Amino acid sequence: MKKLIVVILAVLVSAMMFTQTITFWHTQVETDRQQRVRALAQIFEAQTGIKVNLVPIEENEILEQIPRAVQAGTLPDVVEGGISPILLLGSQGFMDTKLNAKIIEDFGDVYEGVARLMKAPDGGYYGVPFHAWVQGIWYKANLFEERDLGAPTSWYNILTAAKALNDPANGFYGIILPKKADAYTEQVFSQIALSNGARPIDKDGNILFNTPEMIESFRFYKELGKYSRPGFTAVPEALNGYLNNEAAMVFYSTYIMDDIAVEEVQKQRVEQFDPKLVENTGFANFMVNIRPSSFGEVVGLGILNTSKNKDAAEQWVKFLMSGNNYIYWLHVAPGGMNPTRSSIAEMDEFLDNPVLERYGKDQITTIISALDTVERFEFMEGEIIEEMSILSGNFVIGRAINRMFANDWTPQQTAQWAQQEAERLLGD
Amino acid sequence: MQRFRELSPLRKKEAVFGWRLVSPAVILIGIFILYPVLYNIYLSFFEVSLTPGVPNKFVGFQNYRELLTDPTFWNSFGITMLFVLITVFGSILVGLGVALLMNKEFPGRGIVRALILFPYVAPVISTVFAWQYVLMPLNGPLTILLSNLGIMDVTQDLVNDPNNAFLVVSFYSIWKNFPFIYLMILSRLQSISQDYYEAADIDGANGFQKFRHITLPELYYVIGSLVLLRGIWNFYKFEEVYLLSKEARTLPIYLYEKAFTGLPELGVAAAIATVLFVVMMVLISIYVRKVLKW
Repeated sequence: MKKLIVVILAVLVSAMMFTQTITFWHTQVETDRQQRVRALAQIFEAQTGIKVNLVPIEENEILEQIPRAVQAGTLPDVVEGGISPILLLGSQGFMDTKLNAKIIEDFGDVYEGVARLMKAPDGGYYGVPFHAWVQGIWYKANLFEERDLGAPTSWYNILTAAKALNDPANGFYGIILPKKADAYTEQVFSQIALSNGARPIDKDGNILFNTPEMIESFRFYKELGKYSRPGFTAVPEALNGYLNNEAAMVFYSTYIMDDIAVEEVQKQRVEQFDPKLVENTGFANFMVNIRPSSFGEVVGLGILNTSKNKDAAEQWVKFLMSGNNYIYWLHVAPGGMNPTRSSIAEMDEFLDNPVLERYGKDQITTIISALDTVERFEFMEGEIIEEMSILSGNFVIGRAINRMFANDWTPQQTAQWAQQEAERLLGD
Repeated sequence: MQRFRELSPLRKKEAVFGWRLVSPAVILIGIFILYPVLYNIYLSFFEVSLTPGVPNKFVGFQNYRELLTDPTFWNSFGITMLFVLITVFGSILVGLGVALLMNKEFPGRGIVRALILFPYVAPVISTVFAWQYVLMPLNGPLTILLSNLGIMDVTQDLVNDPNNAFLVVSFYSIWKNFPFIYLMILSRLQSISQDYYEAADIDGANGFQKFRHITLPELYYVIGSLVLLRGIWNFYKFEEVYLLSKEARTLPIYLYEKAFTGLPELGVAAAIATVLFVVMMVLISIYVRKVLKW
């Protein structure tokens, strides 16, 4: 009997010693999404014997967690995050650029447009593009038709529609515009500024907040604010406002698609379900003033240099981005999470989803193809502007816009404040 | 004080025994309090590297120079002092008033006394969400009520407006923390001998005179200690401010942003923590001597 116990203990101890464990930071903090990630981790463990420690972190807080984890020695093996955190981690030497590049090469079908956004100066990649979304204006197409308004793709059309449809006396507004000092405000402003040819920093590191193009962008943003739903709106209020029929237009990513299309999802947000919302909603996936611009976000999976289990980390990344596992992950937010591998995008199983079916293959293909033309402040003519991550991490644009509305600053004052703040942060 | 070697053998044994008894506490304090404090001071003289394999760089007093010449720091410092003043005196006034009321007999007093504790015992995050909800523009119940009373405009966003954030956070902090003050003062009120009040009645003292000459002096040290405690806590208050509105710009928020946002400056953040520590120690020692007369 004693021998048996000793043998069992020895087996257990050796099993524990040889079980590999990796830590995975991800931004899927919602309960249903966490359940899916947990399920995938369990399947992965059953298949490979590798345990995955899951650490959900708010998207806005991932940058703040990094230095804490560096000091505590608790950095993960793999991180899932947007461009800013991936670039910041990469620029500080945390990313295994070669291994990430190897995974992209092994797949062989990762869209070039999205991979470009994660490219490192050494020729490798800071992360493997995992999924992506596109931002644009979602609008009540039926109201636009009634008033014979053009699709909100140009500054002129957007402002004309916002003015024409604004009816505050009846609790209806022309547009919902973010004004809080956060990433959402920066995302919306990015698209506006890029469509006017404005950028906060150029390739040579010059800070360009006080240029005429940028001041013009702030002016347009402030003008739109006159016809927007009151409040320093953040993401949840924007979504609720559109679903609750409080505004004609809203800047939002493709994550809104399931909220618009699925009754159960819509009812989590608002009491009244509007079954016609899909038919009556249009999507302007680009904007133009002096030039066209699309905006989107690529979420990457990056293996860190500090990882002691790189083989296991590589297996986990490949597991997440293959076949049904990948589709299972993407379907947590259909339309919002779009595949970055062409073979997956073309699979019938990917389109076999109630939300994606409602929008149809053509619209989904249009969205995914827009990823090839997505623009960001962090990239210019194929080069990465790493300083932008610092400005994003400190919400300089969000804070500038927040103060512009709160203090009724002129566009010039706003640009001047942002210029000084950026110079302070970047040590110019 | 006698030196150790001058003690008698018995006294020496007693002294050694005493040290043995307190040594676990001394070791624990050393590990969990002294070490972090000293390590923080040590870090404040370095440019802390986040890049793996790159060591920290010694920069002397540069972090302190940078900090003390940064107008944002002084601005945050001023806001923090104001926050401490408003919230400490506000919560003490409210706590004192409620404690005086709850010290009177009335039907259902037990239930009311328990309900008053609700803000203090409820988790910060839930109360913060509740405040954000009730003060939402357009649809927030409190916003609607206040706009119906003509106090504010229904489109106003009190919580997220950087110009109002400080006031909203201060009001929230008073609301959240006054029950603690109330509880402490009430327990002291209940132990004041009724003889004093009876004697004052005989002397013809009115209610205010009794409060001024009996109640307040009896509460002096309780209130004094509460000012000290709440002052320390509110000086470092982070979670309530950060969760409700990051725009309040108090020093702990400034410290947090230096340490954990964008490209972190952990050396500067350590210098801020050291400055806060020194300022707090000076203020506490003055207060303890002058007010609490320890």
